[in-house]
Amino acid sequence: MSSVSLSFEGVRRRFGRVRALAPASGRVSAGELLVVTGANGSGKSTLLRCLAGLLAPDAGQIEHLEAGTALSLPERRARIGFVAPDLAFYDELSAGENLEFFARLRGLPVARGAKLLERVGLPADRAAGALSSGMRQRLRWAWALLDQPRALLLDEPFQNLDVEGENTVRALLGEHLESGGLAILASPITLEVSGAVSRLELAR
Amino acid sequence: MPSPASNWLASARAVFTKDWRCELRSRYALNAIGLFAVTTLVVTSAALGPAGTNSSLAINVLPAMLWLILLFAAAAGLPRSFVHEEESHTAIALRLAAPPSTLFVGKLAFGVSLLLGIEALVAPLYLGVMSLEVASPGLLVIALVAGGYGLAAGSVLIAALASQARGRSTLFSVLAFPVLMPLLLLAIELTRNAVAGDAAGPALPQLLLYDASVTIAGLMLFPAVWNP
Amino acid sequence: MTRTISLGLRGALWLVMSACIWGAFFYAWSDPAFVGQSSRILFFHVPMAWTSFVAFFAAAVWAGRYLWGGRQMRHDRAAATAVECGVLFGVLATITGSLWARIEWGAYWNWDPRQTSIVVVLLFYGAYLALRSAMADREVRARISSVYALIALVVTPFFYFIVPRITESLHPEPVLNAERTLDVDPRMFQVLLASALAYTVLFFWLHNLRARSQALIDALEDDPS
Repeated sequence: MSSVSLSFEGVRRRFGRVRALAPASGRVSAGELLVVTGANGSGKSTLLRCLAGLLAPDAGQIEHLEAGTALSLPERRARIGFVAPDLAFYDELSAGENLEFFARLRGLPVARGAKLLERVGLPADRAAGALSSGMRQRLRWAWALLDQPRALLLDEPFQNLDVEGENTVRALLGEHLESGGLAILASPITLEVSGAVSRLELAR
Repeated sequence: MPSPASNWLASARAVFTKDWRCELRSRYALNAIGLFAVTTLVVTSAALGPAGTNSSLAINVLPAMLWLILLFAAAAGLPRSFVHEEESHTAIALRLAAPPSTLFVGKLAFGVSLLLGIEALVAPLYLGVMSLEVASPGLLVIALVAGGYGLAAGSVLIAALASQARGRSTLFSVLAFPVLMPLLLLAIELTRNAVAGDAAGPALPQLLLYDASVTIAGLMLFPAVWNP
Repeated sequence: MTRTISLGLRGALWLVMSACIWGAFFYAWSDPAFVGQSSRILFFHVPMAWTSFVAFFAAAVWAGRYLWGGRQMRHDRAAATAVECGVLFGVLATITGSLWARIEWGAYWNWDPRQTSIVVVLLFYGAYLALRSAMADREVRARISSVYALIALVVTPFFYFIVPRITESLHPEPVLNAERTLDVDPRMFQVLLASALAYTVLFFWLHNLRARSQALIDALEDDPS
């Protein structure tokens, strides 16, 4: 398994007059989990969106290495697994069809989606528009793991999940870290997480 | 191991299939475009009567009316292609999963097929209602296909821009009008030549050049529209 | 040192523009029997139209530099400012043109090919400014509006072919244009050339001032202290 690391230095972002993210720096290597905490509005989601390549930071460097080579911005987008509250899928399609579409889009085996749905405990034939909020969260997890990413960016990854659901995704996260993946987890509340954990507190 | 080119094409086809599948289940654009086209058709027909029997109206007014109906029908349905991705937040997943060029080509194929389908319904209906005799039907088909392609391609590209801003649907009309104006003028000229039985003239190569220019500009510029 | 040069340039611009005004009224067509006094507006109208063309072209160049030249905000500011200046000169050219049209052709507006073209071009860049105002985030605004400025560059040349064909039928009689009179009087040519040059320099000066003030506004927004 190739080694992976993600480091960022002085990443900051404004939205007009509002300072959304004060300069933030950090570094995560294979098998490590970085927990980003901070009050509402401290820029946790903004930081994760910058790291995912969904938002251009005003300044700062982001370096995502896989097997010793730095990934370009389009490669970074393709190589991360992303879970966030505003991540949504096509209401007209079923959960299975949604994952099938994304598998085809990325040129992956279509069967992979069905396996992941089974793992997170979601009926494949249920329309995405008819999923409860907890089920939507499970679908986000299944989607994020579709291409077996080495880096996971998780924005409030346990929200709306029931006990059984939270146990399932915690197990998925544990397996991901054990197999040499890395993860950055953003949460407004302090979470109990085990393993190699470092923390980053964002100030407003 | 499949080649990169066939992968790219498969991704574009996945976008195209997904868009049609969602469209056939929600019928949003089909209903909007179809109802719009029928309503305007009824209004123009009621106002003008069987105008095709008057040769001056047939040549000078009716081709322009047809393309205005198609323009507004396109403006009613095509922007949704991108606006809906942003409004329902599916754009995030799409940004992370697909290279922008495959997405643009998939969306373009969806827009073009949708508009050509609408034309196949509206144009015969229009000719019938207006009692319009077309001297060169072959040229009319060429005008509808080449004009429809450009109309869809321009609309899809502008929809991608407008979806990134506030007041998306109003802004779409403001942005699209100047971009689509040369296309409409050329398509109207070509349709008029078809109705009158004249030769295609310089309008045809210019229309094809417009189609090619907008496609190439879209392929070059879309990555900057879609991703930071 | 740069201050002296800048002062010198501004002084030179002032002198040349004054000379153009003097030239328009007293040098070109010095023949008192010359009848078309109203045509002297050409010395201001044509350079204005030319300058708006230069401004819009410059905007597209800056937009391209923004997209493919490292995404620097100063290039986007330059593009936006060029469009603003281009619209200003374009509107002035339209007003002076229609005043002249009223006297020469009897109506303020005739849908002559040039009038049609400038209306479409102004619509385009009006839409550009509307687009900018609909986006709050600076990075998104820069990206999206740069793309629109480049689309304008791709699409507007089509009007050059189309517009003369469709307006022909409205105006079968040939209308007076700058090129035809150019051959007539060498003095007129000299004044026109000097005026076009002066207006172009005026554009770059205005552009520089506006882009710098916009840079200060942006910097103040980033750091209000």
